[in-house]
Amino acid sequence: MTRSWVTRGTVCLAAAAIIAGCREGHQVRWDQLPPGTAAIAVDSATAARNAAREPGALATVTADTVVGWTGPGGRPFEVARRTAGPDAGHSRRFGTITLPIVLRQGARALTQYPCMSCHAGSKVTMAARRTPDAHHDIQPVHPDTAGGVCATCHAQDNVASLVLIDGKRATLDQSYRLCAQCHFAQVNAWAAGGHGKRLDGWQGRRVVMACTDCHDPHRPAVQQRIPFRAPELEKTRGPIP
Amino acid sequence: MSDDRNPGMPEGPGEGSLLQKPVDRRGALGLLAAGVAAGAAALGACRPLNASTPEERELKVLEWQEFTQKHYRRMTEAERAETIARIERLAKIRHDEDVTIATTDAQPGVLFGYAFNVSKCQGFRNCIEACINENNLDRASDTQYIRIFEMENGVVNLEEADATYQHEVPLEGHFYLGTQCFQCADPPCVPVCPVGATWQEPDGIVVIDYNWCVGCRACMAACPYWARRFNWSAPEVPLSEVNPNQHYLGNRARKKGCVEKCTFCIHRTRLGQLPACVEACPTGARVFGNLLDPDSEIRWVLANKHVFRLKEELATEPRFWYFSD
Repeated sequence: MTRSWVTRGTVCLAAAAIIAGCREGHQVRWDQLPPGTAAIAVDSATAARNAAREPGALATVTADTVVGWTGPGGRPFEVARRTAGPDAGHSRRFGTITLPIVLRQGARALTQYPCMSCHAGSKVTMAARRTPDAHHDIQPVHPDTAGGVCATCHAQDNVASLVLIDGKRATLDQSYRLCAQCHFAQVNAWAAGGHGKRLDGWQGRRVVMACTDCHDPHRPAVQQRIPFRAPELEKTRGPIP
Repeated sequence: MSDDRNPGMPEGPGEGSLLQKPVDRRGALGLLAAGVAAGAAALGACRPLNASTPEERELKVLEWQEFTQKHYRRMTEAERAETIARIERLAKIRHDEDVTIATTDAQPGVLFGYAFNVSKCQGFRNCIEACINENNLDRASDTQYIRIFEMENGVVNLEEADATYQHEVPLEGHFYLGTQCFQCADPPCVPVCPVGATWQEPDGIVVIDYNWCVGCRACMAACPYWARRFNWSAPEVPLSEVNPNQHYLGNRARKKGCVEKCTFCIHRTRLGQLPACVEACPTGARVFGNLLDPDSEIRWVLANKHVFRLKEELATEPRFWYFSD
């Protein structure tokens, strides 16, 4: 009996030593360069190629510098300007296809902001009987839950201009200034890079999408849609012997 | 030779001891091929290797040179240029494709990291669509580097997750988690390769020399994340859908019988661009950046969000984190 316990103890100790040895031998960490690569000297050809890269030239999206927020480390960043033109920066090219990068329904149709064709001044010029159809897709969550009305966000004399709590104006491209009045945690994360979407490159100019590029303020819930086709696992696996 | 997992493997181009030899075995075979070609040109009437037209003759010679080419990391700059020219010419002869193949090296001081927001992903699979088109993935076998798993709220259980869902998403009460190659800091797939055809680049990307791979699939067995894909047949991509912007270690044409994998879009990210999956994601669930830059977005996520990694107990140190809002 005693001997058996001694044997078991020895085995356990040996196992523990082996495991500890393995752990000790395991030196690689995620924030370390791969072993052996730190010693590589950059040859002249590589150095020339590195110099030829112009990361700043990557971002081709029309954008404005963000007012009031900075990115990690206090770096300024820019927000893409949707009003710059149809689909500005919101579709990207992959190989030979171009994919629209939109989350909200009808986001691309809003490019031209035709608000003023009906909302001239403080009056709606459209025939009154047609008004119910005009915003049929609006789910006014913000008025319902936050006690707001149209004029809480839109300037009364110009619906294409946003109005802040302190009375200051913001353009439709500066939706983050309006949203940040309540959703400050989200906007802070957006400024730091943990929320939202960066366009173009991980290097160089940091250009991100604005709040309302993804979130429809009049219909905040993400709409369901059919995804891209599912993988055919049997084909990928190949013949099973 | 500090990397003991790849004995005999030099650490950079032009540093190998094999280069000091006047002619090695492969070099001799290559010279033989060149000799055959030269002989054919001299004799004229001779039809080497059963080739009839000049183009067929050129193809045979190029294929023979491709067969005898060196390991990518043992090539000198001149040999790399020669290899690239050969591959581009082969693409033109074989498939009438005008491709540009880069050999862009890693940027110094850059280590790529990736974060995936499980509370943002809605399962639209736009990342997969972009990946297929960007990386010239085989349409015939429907190769996909990325899997999006649909799981019920509450627990991460990949055993019961569904990667083949086909219904309107997002589904009520479910969340979505995407996997691809995690570019582990201690990749189990690398030391098992019997021929050293796969290795980790200085920026952390694990790459494959498709011409050196012998197709033994040991790396696929070693990968705990099932990130590698095998070409049971030569990949088929319609000519109109071929992405001509290619990298030797990335999305260039693969051959039958070699393994391939996600390379964080090496042809894009080494130029400072985002990987296709990140750029295509409509929800902003994917964050990509330089781990060595303390002011990068990825470092902010690691420092300020609750992050986890898959199968962390295996100590492969994936450079791919999951986080939630």
